[in-house]
Amino acid sequence: MKLYIRATGNISPQKTFGHPAFLTQPVEHFGNRLNAVEPDYKSFIDVKQIRRMSRIIKMGVAAAMECLQEAGVEIPGAIVTGTAYGCLEDTGIFLTKIVEQHEELLAPTAFIQSTHNTVGAQIALLLHCNGYNNVFVHRGFSFESAMLDAMLLLKEGETDNVLVGGLDEITGISHAILTRFGLYKREPVANFDLFTRSSKGTIAGEGAAFFLLASQSSLNDYAQLDGLTSFYKPADIKETENHILSFLSIQSILPAEIDLVITGRNGNVKDDRVYDSLEQSVFKHIDSVNYKQLCGEYPTSVSFALWLAANILKSGTVPAILGYSGNKGNEIKKILIYHQAQNIHHSLLLISAC
Amino acid sequence: MDKLIQDLKVQIIAQLNLQDLKPEDIGDDQPLFVEGLGLDSIDALELIVLLQKQYKIKLSNAEDGPKVFRSVRTMAEYIMEHQPQIS
Repeated sequence: MKLYIRATGNISPQKTFGHPAFLTQPVEHFGNRLNAVEPDYKSFIDVKQIRRMSRIIKMGVAAAMECLQEAGVEIPGAIVTGTAYGCLEDTGIFLTKIVEQHEELLAPTAFIQSTHNTVGAQIALLLHCNGYNNVFVHRGFSFESAMLDAMLLLKEGETDNVLVGGLDEITGISHAILTRFGLYKREPVANFDLFTRSSKGTIAGEGAAFFLLASQSSLNDYAQLDGLTSFYKPADIKETENHILSFLSIQSILPAEIDLVITGRNGNVKDDRVYDSLEQSVFKHIDSVNYKQLCGEYPTSVSFALWLAANILKSGTVPAILGYSGNKGNEIKKILIYHQAQNIHHSLLLISAC
Repeated sequence: MDKLIQDLKVQIIAQLNLQDLKPEDIGDDQPLFVEGLGLDSIDALELIVLLQKQYKIKLSNAEDGPKVFRSVRTMAEYIMEHQPQIS
């Protein structure tokens, strides 16, 4: 059974919202934090609803609305979201108030809005969508799990379209804590120089990307969704290679049939060793590009990669900012997204042109 | 009483994050819920917290809620009844 990506909506550190020209004016960021380029939400969300929404909720709701609008779907059959951090800003507000107010007289809004299912719930409330609604909070597999759930719903015939999204935000508190953990580069770096230096740490990112997946072609889809898999803590690079080859075998394709690999390189020498090794083995003769210089590192960044891949296939062009060499010189018809985070969460997504 | 009503409007706007409203946009007798300002049950909880935090008044009987929170004026009257030194 074939599945299709019918529409997308994306708010990211690049100009992606509102379907502008495909990354023709890439946004350069300095420092180690890439904040999303946000629209004026009042054009998309009722003012009365906005007042309670934190940034990630607004980002998620607006991206979802844009996606549905493009698809021409008023109420999706199901809403599935993936987020590792959830609504961090509200969580930070609530926890700070607990401390400041000695656990007394706590305002309810931040608490109510702090749960991980808030974005999916808000979308459903705004649409009056009473269908299946689920959120996956599985660290580096959050978006992948949401996608898998959506694909299963479609394959089992529960519905013929699913709104699925991945989203995470950076806040002052989370950025400070994760910097202390050594996740981000200590020295300021421009995002487009991410891969030119060899140092520890990466750059923080955030975003909300939504997709309308459908079980039937609209004849105007972005791409066909072929398959997805994930694997956890491989023992060594050999095991990683075996997982990749096994996935491709299940999809009945050879590595040489992949036109482009989009990798999750993040500029951290430690994390990027895995990609270095694979480019000498299973990915040796395949063109590859990276995407985290555009959106930064966050647990659901694969949703940005999927948006990127879907747009490459639909537009038939690879944005110049990706530095695509096009060695093979052939048209891009099949893209493999390979992502791994700290050699723990690995995932593969295969999509192809319709 | 007039000052209390003014203060309450400012506090309600801040507590409920009513971004597009100014104190003068809220009528003294305008209903706060449904057809008036359009507040809802989460706002009601916020208003209970506001009363406790700003005026040290605990709404002892939940059934009094609709009456107390009908408008800014009824809130002010309730505050004066329980904290007569505030006017």
